[in-house]
Order: sequence, then structure tokens, then C-alpha cells
Amino acid sequence: MASIDSSLQFNSLCNLQSSIGRPKLQIPSTLVLFRRRHKNLNWVQLETNPSFVCKSIGDDPSTPDEEVQNTQNDDDAEVDVTTTQSSTAHDSESSISRFRSMITTLPPVIFVVNKCSGNSIWIGIGIVATVLVASIRAYAIRNSSDNRPAGSVADLVRRGQLRSGDRRGISKALNYEDPFNNPFVKLGKGSSTVEMCGKVYKLAPVTLTEREQTIHQKRRSRAYQWKRPTVFLKEGDSMPPDVDPDTVRWIPANHPFATTVSDIDQDLAQNNVYQKQGVPFRIRAEHEAMQKKLEALQNEEKLNNLGIDSENARDFQRPYKFSGKLEDENVQKSSQENHTGNSSSEKTDKS
Amino acid sequence: MASPRLFSTCHQPPFLPPSPQRFVKSPAKRRPIRSALQFNRKPQLAGETPRIVVITSGKGGVGKTTTTANVGLSLARYGFSVVAIDADIGLRNLDLLLGLENRVNYTVVEVLNGDCRLDQALVRDKRWSNFELLCISKPRSKLPIGFGGKALEWLVEALKSRPEGSPDFIIIDCPAGIDAGFITAITPANEAVLVTTPDITALRDADRVIGLLECDGIRDIKMVVNRVRTDMIRGEDMMSVLDVQEMLGLSLLGVIPEDSEVIRSTNRGFPLVLNKPPTLAGLAFEQAAWRLVEQDSMKAVVVEEEPKKRGFFSFFGG
Repeated sequence: MASIDSSLQFNSLCNLQSSIGRPKLQIPSTLVLFRRRHKNLNWVQLETNPSFVCKSIGDDPSTPDEEVQNTQNDDDAEVDVTTTQSSTAHDSESSISRFRSMITTLPPVIFVVNKCSGNSIWIGIGIVATVLVASIRAYAIRNSSDNRPAGSVADLVRRGQLRSGDRRGISKALNYEDPFNNPFVKLGKGSSTVEMCGKVYKLAPVTLTEREQTIHQKRRSRAYQWKRPTVFLKEGDSMPPDVDPDTVRWIPANHPFATTVSDIDQDLAQNNVYQKQGVPFRIRAEHEAMQKKLEALQNEEKLNNLGIDSENARDFQRPYKFSGKLEDENVQKSSQENHTGNSSSEKTDKS
Repeated sequence: MASPRLFSTCHQPPFLPPSPQRFVKSPAKRRPIRSALQFNRKPQLAGETPRIVVITSGKGGVGKTTTTANVGLSLARYGFSVVAIDADIGLRNLDLLLGLENRVNYTVVEVLNGDCRLDQALVRDKRWSNFELLCISKPRSKLPIGFGGKALEWLVEALKSRPEGSPDFIIIDCPAGIDAGFITAITPANEAVLVTTPDITALRDADRVIGLLECDGIRDIKMVVNRVRTDMIRGEDMMSVLDVQEMLGLSLLGVIPEDSEVIRSTNRGFPLVLNKPPTLAGLAFEQAAWRLVEQDSMKAVVVEEEPKKRGFFSFFGG
């Protein structure tokens, strides 16, 4: 399409050229080469109606001494062009000369040629480099999304889900934009389209009226008669006599609700929910129970210790005269009692 | 016919953005993190606080939990204090979507049993400290019969009277179906958001659920149409959003396009609305949250995608 447009422009310029006249300056060969590419575009038009165009070009007598190469793609047009090549060579040369003279007579072109006659190479290099960079960039963008490993830390940072500064503590506060007024949302002219995240969508107005809403509400009120269930019974349980059957919800036996057995009172549960501070009820209850048990154990241990204390037992013994044998026997007995007392205390400790 | 308006009316002009506020913990009270909006425009809260919103659908898998997570975090980003309650007793998922699954130690069942206090069961999001999560139960624990709905009412009353103040929004993620779990979840709600997809099965279930909600006294019901594919609408393989609205007769809170980012965000525990740059579905969730705050609805909907007109310099990589 661009080539056909440019060819049309060249044709219009050719018409203009006849009124402007011949050029005064000589054109360097490099510029001629550059023009030759534009000339090739003329052949695109020849594909569609080659014979007619060739004949129209051939009417103009003024021609330069140059040959034009045939770069046509269509076989039929090529056949037509080859048959008329000899006659059209002269015609093409004239068109080329016309075109050349037309270009050189344009004032801006004259100015540019005068100014940049030595820099035409650099201009061409610049344009080629720009096109090359753009194509490489597009190719790189296309490939980068395929090659980048998904789920990596770099991928998460790129997607904005992980901020590299978060872990180091140097991240700034996030700025989030207004969802209706930001660079990703653009309303089209006349509010008929909207562009969101690079995609353009057509808009249509909502047509629901309040009357239609009311009609739907009435329809549903007739279709769905429902009362909130207040009594939940397991399948198999008997229904209480003073309960509205519509408010009973039967729970299947294997439903999680049905298998729950709870000792918690409703009032107690409510109090647990409303508790704002302090130790939660069950934790406190368990703690108190454990404390009581510990106290009970300690008391029991004290009693046991009172019963088997040998020193106290000696104080209560009566003093009497006895021989050395008896003293030895007493010493043995006391040692045995000590052993038994220790063993009993060990037993109480173990219990 | 009124001119189509995609966005809710906002007559406040944007003015200079403030400097970002730093989060400072005072010993007596915690200040919530305030989001720094680039254009410093905040939605105007309408209605009485706390606004108790139940997000339900009837049919499973349409996007209730995703909507709860994303809308809830959007509300927190706008500066409102939010408590999200996962009322799905048997299958708990909201903590996974929010990335808080490792931080849920206590649930409402433990609170009822007296194993912990309510504030100990609330999980505060570290990204946005004005967003808290409360799970009803762990998968293996059970709620006693009969006082599921009452338990939620007690919870709401306790949240209203807590020392740090009543939350602005209490969002309840309702389980699928219309049995005891659904009845429990809708008990304390004042308004409802119905999530549906543009297919016949979801629409029929949604219609039933709307009828039950209206029987229970919830009249403020808005609709979110999820997983919309404009290419299928154009090819007449999917109902359009206007067709869905015509069938159900509800005002639209949001239209969420099909987006593969939803699956990624679910698996990573990073809600969609926190992505920068925002995705299409994330923007749609943010807009839905805005309308929820202002009690507004959509005035125009997206119908189909149009080819983008590319400029002359587009081949340079634009």
C-alpha cells in the first residue's frame, strides 16, 4: 500500500514537473541510486495494468540516458513488460528524467541538496540505522517474553509483585493511581470507546430501568418462597411440636454440622466472642485446673512427709536405760526405718 | 437517552498529591497505612458504617473468593479499614489468595471455644495494615449446629465495639450453594454482591440466590459479571453483559474480563490489584471497589474489542 501510495505521489509529481522545467544542477550518482528504489515502486502499479501505464509513460519525449531494471513479480505483467520492454525503455528513461528534474526543482529539495550534498551518505546511514534499531528492538521484545523464566525473582520484580527494596528496607511508599483517571485508561471521543491496558473496547449504555428491576423482583418473590431456618436437626431426629416446619433445616448425617458435639453453651460462646482483653476462657480454665491439681499434689506431699519423719519420731520416744546390745539394735532399727522412710518418700514423689 | 458513562460521576477536581505518609506505630493506637494516590482522589464513602457486604453466587467457581480478595484489598488501598471473613466452613481459600495461609493460627471456632480472643484470630496483612482476615474454621474443625449465623452476628457486634474502632467494611466470602453455609454467611449482611459468569448455569443459580437474598431482607444487591470474553461475545458464543443484566435485572457493579493473570496471582498469593503496572482485570476490580464505596453502578459496559488504530511510528516499537 505504501508503495502504491508513493507511486501515486510520484505520478502527481511527474505532472507537476512539466510545469516547473528542467533542473539546473547536476545530481550525484548516489542520489540517482537512491531514486532508483523509488522508481521500482512504479512497477508495482504496472502489475495491475502494465500495458496502459507503459503506453502513457512512452508518450513523453524527454528522456535521460539510463536503463530501468524490471523487478516485477507478476508473471503476466512480466510477459507484457518484456514484450514492450524495448519500447518502454525509452519511455522509462523519459519518466526518470522527468522525475529527476521535478525533484531537483522543488525549493526545499534544492535547499537540502545544497546544504547536505556531502552528508547524504550519513543521512542514509542514519535512516537505515533507525530502521534496524526498531526492528531489533521489536524482535528482542518478542523473544524476551519467551526466554524469560517465569516465576523467577527477576520476573516477579518486573511484574511489580516483588520490590527489590522491600527486603533491604529502602523501598518507598507505593503510589497507586485513580482507576478511572490514569495512563492505562483512556476514554475515546464521544465516550463510545475506552482504551484499557492497551486494548480498545466499544462501549454500550446500560438499558436496565427501575421498572424492569421491579418486575424482576416481583417475579422472584412469586417464584421463591423461603423462610430463614432457625432450627437445625440431624436426619432422624424428631421435630419439636411447636416449630414451624418451614424453619427447620435438616442436616445430613455426614455433614460437618451434624457430627459436631459441643459442650459449649451459647451464652458462654457469646461471651468468648465479646471478650476484649485478658486470657481467653479455655486457656484460663485449663490454667486454673492445672494450678488446682498442682496444689493438691503439693498438699499430699506435705502430709506424706509429716507421717514418715524419723527425727520427729525420735522426739516422741520415751527415754530408757538399755545395754549396749539394745543400743546397737536401736541403731539398726533406726537405720532400717530411715531406709523405709526414704523408700516411701520416693514412692510418694513418683506418684 | 442519557450519554453513556462508564465511570461514576466525580465532581472533585484532582489536586496536588500529598507527600507519602509513613506508617508510625503509636504505643496506644495503631495508625493504618494510608495509600498515596497519585491524583489524590479518594472515593466518597456512602451509607452507614460498618458496611457489611456478602459476596455470593450460588454456583461454585465463578470467582467469589477472587472478588473478595481483590475488592477487599482495593478498599484497603483507598484508605478504608476492612475485615474480610472467610465464611466457607469446610473449604477455606481466601487465605491462600491473599498469601496469608501461614499466618492463620486461630479461627472463629477457637474464639467460640475460648481458646483465644477475637483480636488474636484476626490476621493483619503486612502490606496494608488496615486489611484484616478472619477465617471461620480450619478444614478439620467443625462449627456447632444452630449457632453459625448467630456466631457471625456476635462477631460483627464485637468488631463494631472493638477499641481500635469499627471497621468501615466487613466483607464476607460466602460458600457455594444455598445450604447452611450460605444461610450462616448472609445472616449479618446488609448488602450483597452477586458474582456470576455469562453462562446459563451460573445465571440460573444466581437468580435463585437473588430470590433467597430478597426473601431474607437484603434488597441492595449488585452484580459483578466475571470472566467476560469479548471475542466470544462478538462471535455470539457468549452472552453479552447487557443480556445478563436483562435476565437478572440487577444493576452492575463491575465487569471483569477474562485474564490469565488471575491464575498466576492465585497461585502466588498476590492479589491482582497490587500488580504494577495494573492488569485489565485488576483495573476492573479497582473500579468495582470504587463503585461499591460510592454505592454507584455502571452506566455503560464494554461490548466488544476493537482493533487499535496504529500510528505511522508504531513500527518503531510503540
